[in-house]
Amino acid sequence: MTRAKLPPWLLLLMPAFLILAAVVLVPLLLSLYSSFTPYQLTRPETLWKINFPFNYEKALTDPGFWKAFGRTVLLLTIALNLEMLLGLGLALMVAKVQRGQRTLRTMMMFPMMFSPILVGFMFKFIFNDNVGLVNNALQSMGLASTAIPWLVDGNLALFAIICAEVWMSTSVFAILILAGLFALPQDPLEAAKVDGCTPWQSFRYVTLPFLMPFIYIAMAIRSLDVARAYDIVQVMTGGGPAKRTELLWTMIGRTGYVDARMGYANAMGYIAILLSIAFTVYFFLKLQSARRELGMGD
Amino acid sequence: MKGFGAGSVLALVASFGFAPAAMAEGEFAGVTIEAKLIGGQQYEALYSRIADWEKATGATVKIISQKNHFELDKEYKADIAAGTTGWCVGSNHSSFASQYPALFTDLAALVPAESIAGFVPANITAATIDGKLTMLPRAQFDVSALYYQKSLYADPAKAEAWKAKTGKDLAPPETWDEFRDQAIFFADPPNFYGTQYAGKDEAINGRFYELVVANGGKMFNDDMSPAFNSPEGKEALQWFVDLYKAGAVPPGTTNYLWDDLGNGFASGTVALNLDWPGWSGFFNDPSASKVAGNVGVAPAPKGSAGVRTGWSGFHGFSVTESCANKEAAASLVDFLTNEDSQKLESAPGPLPSRTAVWEYVIEQAKDDPYKSEVLAAFQETALTAFPVPPTPYWIESGNLIFPELQAAILGDKTVDQALEDASAAVDDLMRENGVY
Amino acid sequence: MASASQHRLRKRLLKAGHFIGLFLAMCVITIPGLWVVLNSFRPTVEIMAKPPVWIPNSLNLDHYRAMFGGAGQGGIPVWTYFTNSLIISVTSTLIALLIGMAGGYAFARYKFKGKAMTFVMLMATRAVPGVALSLPVFIIFGRTGLIDTHLGMILVYVALNVPFTIWLIDGFFRQVPKELAEAAEIDGCTRWQAFWRVEFPVARAGIASAGIFAFLTSWNEYALASQLTRSVSSKTMPVGLLDFTSQFTLNWGGMCALAVLMIIPALILTFLVQKHLIAGLTFGGVKG
Repeated sequence: MTRAKLPPWLLLLMPAFLILAAVVLVPLLLSLYSSFTPYQLTRPETLWKINFPFNYEKALTDPGFWKAFGRTVLLLTIALNLEMLLGLGLALMVAKVQRGQRTLRTMMMFPMMFSPILVGFMFKFIFNDNVGLVNNALQSMGLASTAIPWLVDGNLALFAIICAEVWMSTSVFAILILAGLFALPQDPLEAAKVDGCTPWQSFRYVTLPFLMPFIYIAMAIRSLDVARAYDIVQVMTGGGPAKRTELLWTMIGRTGYVDARMGYANAMGYIAILLSIAFTVYFFLKLQSARRELGMGD
Repeated sequence: MKGFGAGSVLALVASFGFAPAAMAEGEFAGVTIEAKLIGGQQYEALYSRIADWEKATGATVKIISQKNHFELDKEYKADIAAGTTGWCVGSNHSSFASQYPALFTDLAALVPAESIAGFVPANITAATIDGKLTMLPRAQFDVSALYYQKSLYADPAKAEAWKAKTGKDLAPPETWDEFRDQAIFFADPPNFYGTQYAGKDEAINGRFYELVVANGGKMFNDDMSPAFNSPEGKEALQWFVDLYKAGAVPPGTTNYLWDDLGNGFASGTVALNLDWPGWSGFFNDPSASKVAGNVGVAPAPKGSAGVRTGWSGFHGFSVTESCANKEAAASLVDFLTNEDSQKLESAPGPLPSRTAVWEYVIEQAKDDPYKSEVLAAFQETALTAFPVPPTPYWIESGNLIFPELQAAILGDKTVDQALEDASAAVDDLMRENGVY
Repeated sequence: MASASQHRLRKRLLKAGHFIGLFLAMCVITIPGLWVVLNSFRPTVEIMAKPPVWIPNSLNLDHYRAMFGGAGQGGIPVWTYFTNSLIISVTSTLIALLIGMAGGYAFARYKFKGKAMTFVMLMATRAVPGVALSLPVFIIFGRTGLIDTHLGMILVYVALNVPFTIWLIDGFFRQVPKELAEAAEIDGCTRWQAFWRVEFPVARAGIASAGIFAFLTSWNEYALASQLTRSVSSKTMPVGLLDFTSQFTLNWGGMCALAVLMIIPALILTFLVQKHLIAGLTFGGVKG
């Protein structure tokens, strides 16, 4: 009888709630607890000793942690904006093509076929200073006479990582924006044309507002994923050298698994998760207001 | 002489008497041994022998995990955490073994003593942690020797220039100072580098560690407090810094790991390369390496204390404490590390860890000058080789040390500052964990 | 007159710019990938050569041959990895789509208290990084015997993909005017029928792209798979890539060969699903 009383929306959402509770929520509670302990993987007995707030204090007072934190935010901001702009440009260009668009679209999605770990290896070789593709090309064309240490210099290494990240993920933006472009109602565009709008004006005032929800969806999804760019960074630089490319996730991965200090790693993980959630909430609010403008809100 | 002969006959009889006992026909019939074995081409040839052991004992081996070394390490730690340690045999490594003090059982109680006596004694010492023999070494002993391009030393113009500069004859370096000076001398960036070194993780720590020792210093005091912030330590770090500053190493070297080094030397763009025995075949293989036919190998150079560097490690197999049938598991481990197994495994190049097999491979290589040179150089280096310090915090303290070493190499910090910071960080770590 | 020819010139310039821009973009997108494909056919000595060899001298299938060869010759159980990857990715994608459609529909069509909050909470589960999740999941799976099984991986990937399929599909359902479904209901359809006849076809584009994303995420995921799989009975292809690395060596050519085998099915699937993407998208005009 209680079943019948469940509102339909809850019924529809129930499978999602169940699976997320089982695979994400319960494990998260476990790791939340462990972040209050000096838990070391290799010493199971350490799980039963509470030392709150030692781990959090240690993380928050560690300048290395804050540097990694800042670098993560910087990487997120640069990569996301770049991917958005490039993705928008790409989608607009592809949308204009009449013939062979299907092939182009598949090509456009080509980088998405690559596993992040593979992208990491790939760009590590491409940016290798001695036998890498980029340096070889630059030297062959006479544009560089020295080996450029792409993965060593702090800024260049961050640049190389962003390149890899942007290369892999611009497609995500492009494909979502393209989908938005196809769903774009034609009437307002034609009306704009009749009213004598320039192509730029009709893009700016008709197309773009319509695309905004799609862009925010893509932004939010990517902002969560870019924070997972662990695989790429781990393979390309491992956070080094001299911590110049250390991101929150490489730091957490190393502390948790290599140093086996799971308690401390989870404490840092929680601080980092809050950061991701802040980004998500931000884009979600943006999405809401973009939808309201289009009259698609609640 | 007569007594000796009788003794060895006795030993022979004993071992013959024992061998069937250790591996009686169908002794472990119906037993299933779950194993986690290191994966990778170099390591897997040996596993073809598992079928022979299965046939002889009637047991079944189920390989439940096959990963590379670092992934396996993560997996063991996760297993300890989850309590899923019911499997029996696991690959292990001397540098990692001290991290899992309770996971593996003492093999000395399970494997016949004469089998253990056949190993190189130093390897057994290194495999013994807190009085427990935690693993039996397989034929994957690693120590670094110096690979070099022979043509450089045969070039009269270079020899003359070197003589004019230093007054000495140009020959492969005997000491680390010579190594550095020659590397700088040969370097012609960006097309040719004097040498290269692995610049991160345990790789650079290991190099730093062996240099400290070769200079007469220590990494840790006996109570495991850091001891590397010393004149010897500074000298060691200065070596890395000098090469980087002089541009004698590829500018990306601080991001290199072993594969980058091997591929770099094989690309023919590096003069001197301190590297592992596993690469010897690759370097001399014309389909993989541009320096094939031009590779010379010398023992590792000596530090300022006249000691050779010799940071060494080896792979082996361990049996878990919670294994249901430890006898069967130990029998498998013994089998995979016995003479026949080591002969098979060392045939393509890896170094054995049994005295008799060392003799065997040297004998086998006598018609192959390159292989003989390789073996001679590595055997010489192995004589004075030493394992990593016996502390479960070797890897963890290393993660604090290597970013500081990198900072000094890249010029972010001075040598003094970097070592002081690293030392303080390690000291904190040891205190936090109640080591002292 | 002048303005007309100017207009024509500008149009032509724009067209040329469009073409060049598209060409350059496609180059940047495909070259690194094609470089991997090329490397899979080249001997290692040529890949790592310095000075570089730009025009390949010898292309051969050595890396592929080695990969399919026996243990000890560099062989790895490619087909087993492939089957594992396929079973895990396809099943988890289908389940994630079903759950995602239900959830997306709930968010797009129903009003309820705390909706925005619920939505954000759902999305936030995606923010949890694999590194932080892998250990606790491992412990739970270890206790329940899900370690190293297809089922375990499928569960994880469904959970990984659900928030984002819900979000995407919700976005597309919102594009379907409520009046359309209501009209269908007036015509005598049940809500269920109305959903399949009206809303589903329109949102098919969204479902197709959500499907592509979910599939590719599962197909390429590494951080969790490396912890939760152990033996060949469940190892997926990205984890298999690491078979080409060992303590001291990395066989880049071999890795590229496996990478090519990983990319081909994904490419084919994407190409096929595109058709549905187009068919669903034509309904966009209905809205106007």
